[in-house]
Amino acid sequence: MVDATYDNQVDQQKYQQFMEKIEAGGKIEADDWMPDDYRNALIKLISMHGISEIMGALPEKEWTPKAPSLHRKLGIMAKVQDEMGHGQLLLRVAEDLMAPLGKNREDIMEDLLSGRLKFHNVFHMETKTWADAGIVGWLVDGAAIITQTNMLDSSYGPYARALKRICAEEVFHAQHGEAIIMALAEGTDQQKELIQEALNRWWPALLMFFGPASANTTGSSKQDTTIKYKIRKNTNEELRQHFFTKYVPRILSLGLTIPDETIRYDEENETWIYQQPDWNEFKQIISNNGPRSKERLQLRRISHENNAWVREALGARRNISAV
Amino acid sequence: MDTNRENIDLFYEEFVVFSKKNPNGHMTEQYTLLAPNAELALMMAQENFMRREPVSDLWVVKRSDITAVKPEDREMLYRLDNKDYRNTKGYGYLKKKWREKEQEMFDEKEILSWAKGVGK
Repeated sequence: MVDATYDNQVDQQKYQQFMEKIEAGGKIEADDWMPDDYRNALIKLISMHGISEIMGALPEKEWTPKAPSLHRKLGIMAKVQDEMGHGQLLLRVAEDLMAPLGKNREDIMEDLLSGRLKFHNVFHMETKTWADAGIVGWLVDGAAIITQTNMLDSSYGPYARALKRICAEEVFHAQHGEAIIMALAEGTDQQKELIQEALNRWWPALLMFFGPASANTTGSSKQDTTIKYKIRKNTNEELRQHFFTKYVPRILSLGLTIPDETIRYDEENETWIYQQPDWNEFKQIISNNGPRSKERLQLRRISHENNAWVREALGARRNISAV
Repeated sequence: MDTNRENIDLFYEEFVVFSKKNPNGHMTEQYTLLAPNAELALMMAQENFMRREPVSDLWVVKRSDITAVKPEDREMLYRLDNKDYRNTKGYGYLKKKWREKEQEMFDEKEILSWAKGVGK
């Protein structure tokens, strides 16, 4: 394999060994040699994934005080706690990759607050009713399970190991969401209406979650790099199609209507035909101009700034004890 | 934005978390986390990584205190498969010999079964 970016022979040889290793199913560790575009793609992917777990706890946390029973409150609290734990786990993976570039947790947080680091489109949205909390657990986590299981065999060992743990907990999240939805779906007409309204609200965001089919839509996409380097297996569109196959029949089985009159499965081409979401809106949302982007970032900013003195003081104590 | 970062970067010390599932288990490396000291690292380890699985003991170790093999030296750790004399595999022919003498081989399974004690 020849890569034009290496003009010196030593790096060219390292690149070749790297490719041979990952093509044979080998795992790359944080301190192994890796191509710059591999490192950069991983940093972008994993810091975005990690920070999205943290930001993803915010829309659900809003429902902790308002959950309809103690049992539901405990369930959603456990889920929020898991999301923060996933965030901690993933940020560590990203930070080890960033260390040679002189960046750490503080930089990740500042990049988030300044808008340089983006988080998933779904976490910019409003969770208007309890049914939204159910849809997030059932379908947003369902979509996340599809993208995350696709990377369980990732060539980057630390990410694969973190995902193994995360996916196991996601199974609980999906069932937690299903339990909320199932109770509403088997409830009163008003409750059924509540889920339909939530589904209508969330449908475009769910389609956007997988990302645009190609870089032509939004101007940039790392999917080719991540597939080439065996970080993931499938394209955005393949994963979106897989989501339809897995979830459309279940959505319909609950008596819900998909808010897209054109959606159908084309048997001949084995493809779902569907209405594209508004990708310009997607760009707006992930640029922190979504319905709740500013409020959620503000919450994170308040915690970050209010606690800065604690980090500074405990950091200083280490500084003194080191002398 | 608070730009005072005189000591903040020192707040983030890397700790490696080790845990064992049950009293008979081995300590297994789990994950890493950031904490300003070992005491907080232990608390974070419990919060973040011990929410479901059974854990009977927990360690946190400063990552900087761990000496690891360099990536380029890891190849050295691969063992060549030419040391039968170090394993029972190299003595498998004894089974046939003992059988000729109407005796059973004392293999690993048999020997370790003596752990149950005598006459119980």
